[in-house]
Amino acid sequence: MSRFRNWISGFVLTCLIALMAVGWLSRETDLPLENRQEVLFWHFWGGRDRAVVNDVVKRFNESQDRFFVRAVAMPGNNLQAKLFLSVTGGDPPDLVNQDDPVLADWATRGVIQPIASVATTTQIHQLDQWMFESARRLSKVNQDYYGICNGLDIRALYYNKTLLDQHGLEPPKTIEELDRIATVLTPDSAAAAEGHYGYLPDSRRLWAWGYVFGGRFYNPQTGQVELDSNPIQQAIRWMASYSQRYGPDNLAAFRQGDQSLPGKSFPLLPAQSDSMVGRYGMIMDGQWRTRDLLDFGRKRKQLGLPSPEFGVCPLPPPPAGRSRAGWVNGNFFVIPTGAECPQGAWEFIQFWIGLNDPELAAKTCAAGGWIPVSQRVVETAEFQQFLIQNPLFAEFVDLASSPNQFPIPAVPGAAMFKRTVESAAYEAMSQPDRPVGPILQQANQRIQQQLQRARAE
Amino acid sequence: MSRRPLKHSETRAGWLFSLPWIIGFLALFVWPLVASIWWSLCRFDMISPPRWVGLNNYVRLANDVTQQQGFGQALTNTMYYSLLSVPLSVVIGILLAVLLSARLRGQAIYRTLVFLPSVIPVVAASILWLWLLNPESGMINYLLSWIGIPPQNWLNQARSAFSLETVEVLQNYTAGNPLKLFGSKDALILMTLWGVGNFVVIYLAAISDIPQSLYEAAEMDGASPCRKLLHVTLPMLSPVIFFNLVMGLIRSVQTFTSIYVLSEGTGAPGGSLNLISLELFLSAFSSLEMGYASAMALLLFIGLMLATILLFRTSRYWVHYRMVA
Repeated sequence: MSRFRNWISGFVLTCLIALMAVGWLSRETDLPLENRQEVLFWHFWGGRDRAVVNDVVKRFNESQDRFFVRAVAMPGNNLQAKLFLSVTGGDPPDLVNQDDPVLADWATRGVIQPIASVATTTQIHQLDQWMFESARRLSKVNQDYYGICNGLDIRALYYNKTLLDQHGLEPPKTIEELDRIATVLTPDSAAAAEGHYGYLPDSRRLWAWGYVFGGRFYNPQTGQVELDSNPIQQAIRWMASYSQRYGPDNLAAFRQGDQSLPGKSFPLLPAQSDSMVGRYGMIMDGQWRTRDLLDFGRKRKQLGLPSPEFGVCPLPPPPAGRSRAGWVNGNFFVIPTGAECPQGAWEFIQFWIGLNDPELAAKTCAAGGWIPVSQRVVETAEFQQFLIQNPLFAEFVDLASSPNQFPIPAVPGAAMFKRTVESAAYEAMSQPDRPVGPILQQANQRIQQQLQRARAE
Repeated sequence: MSRRPLKHSETRAGWLFSLPWIIGFLALFVWPLVASIWWSLCRFDMISPPRWVGLNNYVRLANDVTQQQGFGQALTNTMYYSLLSVPLSVVIGILLAVLLSARLRGQAIYRTLVFLPSVIPVVAASILWLWLLNPESGMINYLLSWIGIPPQNWLNQARSAFSLETVEVLQNYTAGNPLKLFGSKDALILMTLWGVGNFVVIYLAAISDIPQSLYEAAEMDGASPCRKLLHVTLPMLSPVIFFNLVMGLIRSVQTFTSIYVLSEGTGAPGGSLNLISLELFLSAFSSLEMGYASAMALLLFIGLMLATILLFRTSRYWVHYRMVA
């Protein structure tokens, strides 16, 4: 018994030593040099994106003799509270990357510092010339840079080209053409019983359609919310017309059905191997879905199955609307107030976005499948090569340069602004017989009150 | 019998032993409570120092209630959820406990099955329910179809089964169209009832504690099983029912994780899953209105306290404590 116990103890001890050895060997060997200043960088990337982030950090650290970036992956939930506590506690990170509409909130509350505190006037002017307008809108509060956008998320219309060809249809250029395609593919709710829709607007996408219809949700000159303006009312009426045609309850059920797809897969893609049609003939989504399409095509090829052809086009506008328009969001860097190494943070930002060397940013964007924030990066040889290999992605990059791509207004309380708009759109679409005006007016009033309160602070 | 006065060293030792708890109580309960009372009278965003605004936050809460937005909407949603889920949990819990107390083959297995959902983490259970309640492929709609109920929209419908809008829908109902009665709050209630096993365990323990002689006496008087349930089991269970009612009420108002997961932290669809706990969280940590959120928390505390006092007051009429001779 005693021998057995000794044997077990020896085994456990050996395992422990082996574990410690593995831990020691796989430790972070790229430790900061003594003469370099550390830049603590909080980000929220995980999965395959984290490897890309780690690679950028590694390349930056190798290129530096003054600064050393230490990246810390911070889960997105409650990042705001964590950051606030760190700022009030006097120990904030030097750099944070975020993608929620919080820039104005953080700037007005003094949680982050203006970029002008670390960048020279020449560099600020350079940013004005260098960045896409959409990226500048995501980086500024009023007229000042408080963040630096490092990647854009653009929405466009994906379509199943094979399906459209079968019906002799062309990708839509106007909203009438989009309606026509939708009704040809799915004339009524009875036709939808087969589990396919030509196109369905999503209430959360009023942000995109509102801009396409020529509206703006907020007027920065007057400081007034314009949710109940005519173009946005028209946009929401158009969206609700789909609820009327197919029945709001049917649409609600179908939409939730999308969530049951394995791994939240792209509902444009056929779920069955013998099918050429997914749940939708056309769908609005972002550039990240091009990865899904590529993977899908590869898989079908391996199985020896034919794959439908897919295409991407801009959101089609109505006659008085905006062309190549839509809702843009993206990632941006901010430097918290009280950061110990703001200059190091600024160096890293420049490195990432490629302000001085676009080739560096091209490498990052191509590896991550991210849309650059400047035409200079797009024009680099490496990124052009990436676009040749990803023609659908090129459509999104083209839209990024459009002056008609707008983000959620950079105002304090933007998160509440977003929620309230989406809730109003849901209400209008789930009860399409109700007049849209009062729903939007009530939401408008609520957001305006919130803005006034924020300004009073 | 006279008590020996404590020696000074004994008193000191007593205080020393209690000190860890006292420090925890003061730091983690009293201080946050006092701070939130103070913050509820201030504008506070966690960054700049709190600024006194008097009763502004409470006036705003009152306005929200009258306009049925924000806190008002959350209050209505919470009341709907609590008023349905708590009594249903009690009734279903008792019925299950009575069934499970019967001497059956495989009793332990049935008991385990009923208790099992209670030990599943809320996040995992919520994701599971997202699948179960899927209107197209979910198992719940499939089961409902067996008894001729058309598929329901559950988590994608803001309208609830017991609401004025549903009355309107019923009035305009035309034969042939499938009736969509149940909405997201009903789905949440269903999910809560699935986790009723916690209550069942308490009822089972209480049932096993009821003296057999009471049932024997009832049988001698010719009482049917139904009579025994009404006149023996329920009165003897009443202290436990009372306990579960109070705890269930508090728990229902504090429900957060499941609604956060089901609505992706937004209270969607159409704000129908925006319960007070979520509204409080969003106000404090998304809108950064810690003062407003504190006022909400305080009202929630007062509301719960009043409801509990009311339950205690009414308990003298329906809760029967066993007298031990």
